[in-house]
Amino acid sequence: MSRRLLALVVAALSVVAALAAVTHGQSGEYKIGVLEPLTGPLAFEGKRHLEGYEVMRDLINERGGVMGKRLAFAVGDATDPTAAASEANRLITREGVKIITGTYSSTLCGAASEAASRQNVIYWETSCVDPRFAQRGLKNVFRTEIDGTGFGWYNVEFIAKHLSHRFNMKPNQLKIAFLSEDSSYGQGVTEAARKRAKADFGMQEVAAEYYAFASTNDFTPIIVKLKQLNPDIVHHIARGNDAVLFWRQSREQSFNFKALVHAGATGYGSPDFGKALGADGNGPFVLAEPGPGFKVEGLKPDAQKLEHDFTDAIKKRTGAEPYASHRLAGPGLWLLKVVLDQAKSDDLDKFRGAVMSLDIPVGSLINGWGVKFAENGQNANERVQHYMLQWQNGQMVTVWPEEFTTARAKWIPLGAWDSRK
Amino acid sequence: MPELRRHWAAAALFGAAAVAPLLTRDGFFLDSIVLILMWGALSAAWNVAGGYAGQVSIGHASFFGIGAYAAALVTTRLQQSPFVGMVLGVVVSVGAGAVIGYLSNRLKGPYFALSTIAFSQVLLIVASRWRGLTSGSEGIPVPFRPGLWTLGLGHLAWLYVALVVAVLYYLIEVWLERSRFGYQLAGVREDEDAAEALGIASRRAKVIAVTLSAALTSIVGTLWAQYIGFVDPFYVFSVPLSVRFALNSIIGGVGTAIGPYLGSIFITSLETYLRATFSGVKTGFTGIYLILYGAVLILVVRFAPEGITGIAARVRARSLRARA
Amino acid sequence: MDPARRLGLPQIDVFAQLVVSTVLLGGIYALIAVGLTLIFGIMRVVNFAHGEFLMLGMYLAFWSWSLWRVDPYVVLPAAAVVFFVLGLVVYLLVMKGVIHASHNVQIFTTVGLATLLENVALVLWTGDFRFVRPWHSSVVLRLGATAFNLSQVVAFAIALALTAGLFAFMKWTHTGRVMRATAQDRDAATLMGIDTDRIYRLTFAIGIAAVGVAGVLVSPLYSVYPQAGLQFVLLAYVVVVLGGLGDMVGALLGSLIVAGVEVVGSYFFGTAWKEILYFLLFIGVLVFRPAGLFGQRGAENLGV
Repeated sequence: MSRRLLALVVAALSVVAALAAVTHGQSGEYKIGVLEPLTGPLAFEGKRHLEGYEVMRDLINERGGVMGKRLAFAVGDATDPTAAASEANRLITREGVKIITGTYSSTLCGAASEAASRQNVIYWETSCVDPRFAQRGLKNVFRTEIDGTGFGWYNVEFIAKHLSHRFNMKPNQLKIAFLSEDSSYGQGVTEAARKRAKADFGMQEVAAEYYAFASTNDFTPIIVKLKQLNPDIVHHIARGNDAVLFWRQSREQSFNFKALVHAGATGYGSPDFGKALGADGNGPFVLAEPGPGFKVEGLKPDAQKLEHDFTDAIKKRTGAEPYASHRLAGPGLWLLKVVLDQAKSDDLDKFRGAVMSLDIPVGSLINGWGVKFAENGQNANERVQHYMLQWQNGQMVTVWPEEFTTARAKWIPLGAWDSRK
Repeated sequence: MPELRRHWAAAALFGAAAVAPLLTRDGFFLDSIVLILMWGALSAAWNVAGGYAGQVSIGHASFFGIGAYAAALVTTRLQQSPFVGMVLGVVVSVGAGAVIGYLSNRLKGPYFALSTIAFSQVLLIVASRWRGLTSGSEGIPVPFRPGLWTLGLGHLAWLYVALVVAVLYYLIEVWLERSRFGYQLAGVREDEDAAEALGIASRRAKVIAVTLSAALTSIVGTLWAQYIGFVDPFYVFSVPLSVRFALNSIIGGVGTAIGPYLGSIFITSLETYLRATFSGVKTGFTGIYLILYGAVLILVVRFAPEGITGIAARVRARSLRARA
Repeated sequence: MDPARRLGLPQIDVFAQLVVSTVLLGGIYALIAVGLTLIFGIMRVVNFAHGEFLMLGMYLAFWSWSLWRVDPYVVLPAAAVVFFVLGLVVYLLVMKGVIHASHNVQIFTTVGLATLLENVALVLWTGDFRFVRPWHSSVVLRLGATAFNLSQVVAFAIALALTAGLFAFMKWTHTGRVMRATAQDRDAATLMGIDTDRIYRLTFAIGIAAVGVAGVLVSPLYSVYPQAGLQFVLLAYVVVVLGGLGDMVGALLGSLIVAGVEVVGSYFFGTAWKEILYFLLFIGVLVFRPAGLFGQRGAENLGV
């Protein structure tokens, strides 16, 4: 009997020991919680998001820190929604943070922000795009990035206002095929685009297909079907290698269309696409953070300097140009600093007051954004400037809006596969 | 009473959970206890089918997901209380459980396990693609409305809710051990043909066990959805989640009432501890607990198939022999 | 309604392309399933970790490619050897102890093995999606109006060769016959003086070698990531169950059927629902014809 009791006591003690550790911050430091998926299926994006935060944190500390103190992080690993909530609780209770930022993914930010709200902690989201995030009436929840419906909105805007007349067609004459990977991101953006294409412009949807990107090795059945349906525009939200695969197989099957439009830093928006295809990848449009051609001169001077420093630091640390996850995290964190410096406190009311009072014009943040928050804590879509890039000779070049860039879009319409040089 | 003495371990564990809030108000600690209790209850629910009836399923996430979605849909679309969702979830899960129960009568051992995996993946695909019903891959945020009827509770209240459910499930397991139905299940588990020969309606017994297991799992799925606040189809129907329910029971002692809870304490604490220690130190190391998971599972199944309770019993038997 | 149905029945060139896609996809699935049908058929062990070995094969190809620019096809023979040895090691360390144990024990042993391998990959190599892009992954071959990819054709060809080789091995060599005997009746085999432990060891090693090779071959075609195992293991089981346990030719035919369901399903119903089709097929086969379409009735219960 006593042995069993011993086993039980050991079990109980190990629980207590495991969960009992508390860490105290050093004085002169201001600590915030950073929640990212560092293991699990979203880890590769979460890692970059965290890198963006860390690099910006160092730049912030070079420029006086936050509220006069050095900015420090307590990091949590949000593998899945349960972990997100648990880690949020840990950061709040054990690390004593009053602000949590993160969380990269739409499926995690819901759980994480819920956990933060229940403990009255400020939640500062810089990336997830779930439209319902800002609709819960929570006073402590803020988001710097626009929601996914915004991406779909912009894509359709671009197609309708900037592409269609160059094909000598009216938007409602365009035939559009939607293809997308089936995660929350793909579905969110695609559904928003579908809705706008139909409601605002009367475009004719010829197909809407979702697929599981990691287990798809052959788009041929879809391509063969689409060929017969003959769309003018292919709206393809890809996640990884599926972009390369689709592009290559479309060429193999001689599937011709006038333009392909994508949104986001994955799939066509990843540097990997250019690496895989080189000049063969010429043509697709990607709605993303600015790339080469971006007129840094279009930014305000402080933003320019910060942009250079940020890009250099990321290059030094990762050996490559910043990915979009970096460019979402960095400015998001900078904005947090701006708010805290203005509010001079992390008290919710003062913080919220400072957030609402911000009115910064487009072009002020290092990615060209401006800032104006709505009552529900969402940074307004009009201030968040997004850019349309195009693959030209192995590089993603910023082509729109034209006032922000030196480069111009080419191959409109795309024409034959071998003619795009 | 000698009978109650057998439950001293459970009493100690649940008692400790009950008094924990008196000793500390630490939100993280309380939250961890809630998770331990919930995973424990889910494993106990699995144990009804997997341990007591011997029907090893690796698809119990099907029922968990059904319960979670029922709660989310009822609270967001119909503006009703999650308890209504819970009832709906149970109804649907019983239906799904009946299907799985039917499969358990047609398929043996590994084939049955495979079919349960296929079933959960079908539900995953339906949930992630049927946007009209479930908002597809984007999942459903569950609104937090304070109050008991809406299950909008603080950490403390959640702890007691989870504790009540955990104790209840423990008692159900105990009942299974001692009731006539439980003995029949044991017979079916050990040797189905012999049981049939003895006149036990083994097919019906299996279906009842699986259906009960499904309903119990679904209930906790509803609670979980309200607690965490977000239902993601790729998570709630996932295979690793199904494995987890089974794993806790196996490590703790499959077919024993306390086993699932012991397993949950061990695994959940390990997971939480590793995450707390390694997040931000070396990302990726937080995944080590999963490697340990796998290794422990292999070792336990091979060398200590009775799990922690088995080890404890052996140690005890040895010490008793030593004294004699 | 899916637009393809509005298009009606496909015309001949579309049809031809769908057939080609089916055949090539079927080859890939056969590759993955052949090792499994061997293990499952002879040892009657449901190896839930089968997909993880495939994943490891993909990583072997990836690291060879990424570190030393070695083409996957060059890695193949080495991979066969490496995975044969790995199979032996895993058998000795893990499988041997549970070969005579109950099914539940076997299920959880292999589930544990799967969890372990998947997370070793995750911790060591992170969850990033990797790609292997040798020169042949972008080479297009044309036959009439159809177009397809060189890597797919090679995978198909090797699948055929592997299946044929294993079939011949099982049918005409002494060891092969001994393996089949052991599959039919383990106890009788022991009584006949067969060292069943050696047979199982060999079977497992060959099976793992086959799936490791499959991993290397499919690496140019799919993303390489730690969780890749799961989707393939379910698929492999559908094929194996459809084709009948231990039946090489059945595995090949089963692969073609599953590939056909997938391709045709994608075309007519849209890709979103195609996976459901083969899961439903799986459950259906398990319930109505668990011996598979080509196996003997009742064969699935031998030794189970």
